[in-house]
Amino acid sequence: MFQKDTLVKIVGEKNVTDESSTLDTYSKDLSFVNTLRPDFVIKPKNANEIAQLVKLANETKTPLVPVSSGAQHFRGDTVPGSGGAVVLDLSGMKKIMRTDRYHRVAMCEPGVTFEELIPAVEKEGIRLNLPLLPRKSKSVVGSLLEREPVTMPTYQWDISDPLACLGLIVGTGEEFRTGQAAGPGTIEEQWEAGAVQKAPYGPGSTCWHRLFQGAQGTMGIATWASIRCEILPTLEEPFLVGSPYVERLFELSHWLIRLRLVNECFILNNTNLAAIMAKNWPCDYQAIKHALPPWILFYNLAGYEYYPEERVSYRKKNIQSLTQKIAVESTKALAGISAGELLQKVHRPSEEPYWKLRYKGASHDIFFLSIADKLPGLLDAMNIEANKASYPASDIGVYIQPGVQGSSYHCEFNIFYDPQSPSEINQVSQLSTAATLSLMDKGAFFSRPYGKSTDAIMNRDAATVTALTKVKNIFDPNNILNPGKLCF
Amino acid sequence: MFLSPEVYKKFEDIVGEENICGDLAIMPSYHSGQIGAVVLPKDTEQVQAIVKLCNRLNIQFTVMSTGFIRAAMPQGCIYLDMRRMNKIIEINEKDMYAVVEPYVTSAELQAELMKRGLNCSIKGSGAQCTAIIRGHGHMDLSTGGDDRNQLGMEWVTPAGDVLKLGALGSTHEWFCGDGPGPSLRGVISGRGSGDALAEGGVITKAAMKLYHWPGPAAFELEGQSPNYNLKEIPPNFMVRYYSFPSVPQMYEAELKIGESEIMFALMGFNVAMLSANISPNMEMELEVIEKLNKEVQGPGFYVIVAANSPEEFEYDQKVLDKIISDTGGKSLAMVEDPKVGALVLIHGVRISVSIRETFRLRPVGGKAYGFQIMGQRDVNIKWIDEAANRKKELIKKGLGADDGGVYFGWSVENSHLGKTEIFFDPSPHPESLDAIIDWQQTTARKALEDHLNPPTHLPLSVVGPEVSNYHIWSKKLDEAFNPNGTTVVLPSLMG
Ligand SMILES: Cc1cc2nc3c(=O)[nH]c(=O)nc-3n(C[C@H](O)[C@H](O)[C@H](O)COP(=O)(O)OP(=O)(O)OC[C@H]3O[C@@H](n4cnc5c(N)ncnc54)[C@H](O)[C@@H]3O)c2cc1C
Repeated sequence: MFQKDTLVKIVGEKNVTDESSTLDTYSKDLSFVNTLRPDFVIKPKNANEIAQLVKLANETKTPLVPVSSGAQHFRGDTVPGSGGAVVLDLSGMKKIMRTDRYHRVAMCEPGVTFEELIPAVEKEGIRLNLPLLPRKSKSVVGSLLEREPVTMPTYQWDISDPLACLGLIVGTGEEFRTGQAAGPGTIEEQWEAGAVQKAPYGPGSTCWHRLFQGAQGTMGIATWASIRCEILPTLEEPFLVGSPYVERLFELSHWLIRLRLVNECFILNNTNLAAIMAKNWPCDYQAIKHALPPWILFYNLAGYEYYPEERVSYRKKNIQSLTQKIAVESTKALAGISAGELLQKVHRPSEEPYWKLRYKGASHDIFFLSIADKLPGLLDAMNIEANKASYPASDIGVYIQPGVQGSSYHCEFNIFYDPQSPSEINQVSQLSTAATLSLMDKGAFFSRPYGKSTDAIMNRDAATVTALTKVKNIFDPNNILNPGKLCF
Repeated sequence: MFLSPEVYKKFEDIVGEENICGDLAIMPSYHSGQIGAVVLPKDTEQVQAIVKLCNRLNIQFTVMSTGFIRAAMPQGCIYLDMRRMNKIIEINEKDMYAVVEPYVTSAELQAELMKRGLNCSIKGSGAQCTAIIRGHGHMDLSTGGDDRNQLGMEWVTPAGDVLKLGALGSTHEWFCGDGPGPSLRGVISGRGSGDALAEGGVITKAAMKLYHWPGPAAFELEGQSPNYNLKEIPPNFMVRYYSFPSVPQMYEAELKIGESEIMFALMGFNVAMLSANISPNMEMELEVIEKLNKEVQGPGFYVIVAANSPEEFEYDQKVLDKIISDTGGKSLAMVEDPKVGALVLIHGVRISVSIRETFRLRPVGGKAYGFQIMGQRDVNIKWIDEAANRKKELIKKGLGADDGGVYFGWSVENSHLGKTEIFFDPSPHPESLDAIIDWQQTTARKALEDHLNPPTHLPLSVVGPEVSNYHIWSKKLDEAFNPNGTTVVLPSLMG
């Protein structure tokens, strides 16, 4: 247990709350995990305060739950998993420490949102490899830590991209930096020497950042991250390809990425594209959805510093021969949806309300990784489960994001529901549990397990759990960091 | 025989009498160290049984895939020679990965891939080395390098547990090596030695990421070794060597080439290294160096354009011309000759080897002195450039072999990152070796004091505290995964 006055000494009076209405907001989210109130919500301002808090938590065996993004939360990972917890809300740590065109890198604290970082890097002539329409309050560092899929697979060389380096306070309270940032020297000394925390490798031959990504705050608390950026194009030309046959779009996306012809490239079903594009609810939404083909591939061509028109033009020609072979057609607009308008949206966080909340007020996401040959079977499996649960399958939004330069696909089902309706909550919660099991049986890989299905997912790989536990015992031997999450 | 007959028999029971040897007359052909026995496992089960037995008997083991490097070899250790595990298990064209066993060489894998219009990253140590281990090489600009090409992996831990990383552990699929939750690829990528190699335990299979190959299904050759060459440079391919008035201009060109995404390969070989790649023998090599030295204006690199279509080829060339002209680059006439260009092409893509340039001028078995640094290329160039100036001073005094004081390097992943290397060989001068070791220490200390990078050649106890105490965390990982200390990790290649 923490004593309030000790906390006040570390972070100042206004940054400690035990007011019940605030505690309530941190006690639940839109996932189906159990509601649990923390004892305090603390807003540390820097790494030094975080280190003091982590040390204190070790002495008092107090669970700490780090949170970087603003509300609303969706996945249960920021709801305390055990009693007596203290939430460390890092959303006030808002420094953007670097935006650097020459080195194509940015660096920021965990409270910096996409809404804030996107314009800051664009001013320098660079841009982020963004997840699909993140919510405005989403922390960039949080997204990187969660290995969220990104919309430009051609620039994702490794699944850990675009994360470069991390600054951390690990579970023991010690500071640790990954990659090039590890040292020698402080970050400021490195800057002085011209070093910019870009290389993710090391120190030594261990790739440390991999151990903190996907950890849901259970290994260490990130106090900043550096991010590999790409150059801002001088010219862009986006396209839509609609088809009733999702396999054809998989084939097209494979070649577009394999030949490195496109930047943004992803597939949506009509439900999700309508949810993103509809302006007037609900009439626009239904009209767009029904006018669209079942599956839509979005891709975007870009030109940079040298002869941008020529670059885009030869690519268009090359893509035309691909689309002819695959028997699909690229267009500038589909059922009144313009590729240009979608591109504008894809370059920014979602407008309010967040696109996943527009239809019914809440969305439960089931997502996993898989490969081209397995995906059609997994889409079928989801439909079967929806039917079993009497949830209209055509109401499920689907987002398929090719990743890691074409070596995997992130597949996401967005199950929209009314958060005020106990029966819908119950229906979607049961559907989620059943679908996760069924999808796993058919080969879906849940690389980022959240919420109620976590145990079922982790239990499929006992050897990994044993190995992860060894790592956990090193970085957080007293299990004070977000206990109850993953296998810890 | 170092092992007692009883112990030897226990290992023999695992692999069979044909697949174990402890003969003192044969062991030196593996290593100059005093190996207990060499064992040749045929599959993961046998590897696991060997490792478990080593743990039980407290015997150290080490593993060799293709054996190009001299692994650490404590007296009496068990040496796992992986040559029977030589299968390409799967090539998944749609998801662009290949699953291989440790004795599959990059050359073998690439030959199969090219038939399918695919390619893989190859380490600069050469295509004769295992495809499974992480590293950096000639095609890094477009294929990336290091552990970023490994996907799913099967790993027998130093304690003898089998860990299937990522999707493999729960779905038997190889396409992803990360999760559920944190990625244990961080651990498998190495522990302890500070060298860029897989170490600790045994990787028994791994999925490697693949890339598009726009060239022919196989290169057609003419002539006989050592005078063989490609019959022709394939359509939409072009090879050039550009030299520049200065290092900053060269790097500017390199950066722009990476940023504009036009290039298949870029390798900053200096003239001597280029010569080693295009000359069939030592005499010619020296002649070619002399010729090239007259033609180049300063540091340079070779490039290989490999476009997917005639339109792309035309665009790539146009951008390249513009960048070269903006940065004051000059094309080497000799490499514009298609015969010479073809030699660079086959060395860069198929052979991918630095054996010649690394070993030719060095006594056999000679120790390499110098640095190989991966990461932020501009800052590393600055550091190595200063080291090269100090090297030149020593050469002037006769205290090191005269290679013109050169260094080299290349860009990785569209020039987001890069590798920079410098070597320094001793001269016959009696004080040469001491001078070079001193140069090495000075350069390493500069890296540390100037906050540039964690250098090799200094004790971990000196470097670690300056670098987030990573030596302490590494040790903890080692204790957790290698509890009996049975796995032997490799001391730094350069150290
Ligand atoms: C002259 C020379 C030049 C080089 N140039 C480069 C270069 O340009 N770029 C680069 O990246 N590297 C370079 N290297 C190092 C190189 O990466 C490795 O030598 C090579 O890629 C690995 O193949 P190998 O035949 O040496 O492997 P091996 O000698 O079989 O093994 C190398 C190391 O890995 C361990 N190991 C081998 N197999 C396994 C396994 N299955 N599981 C776990 N551990 C294993 C071994 O114990 C040993 O420590 C160079 C080395 C030399 C000698």
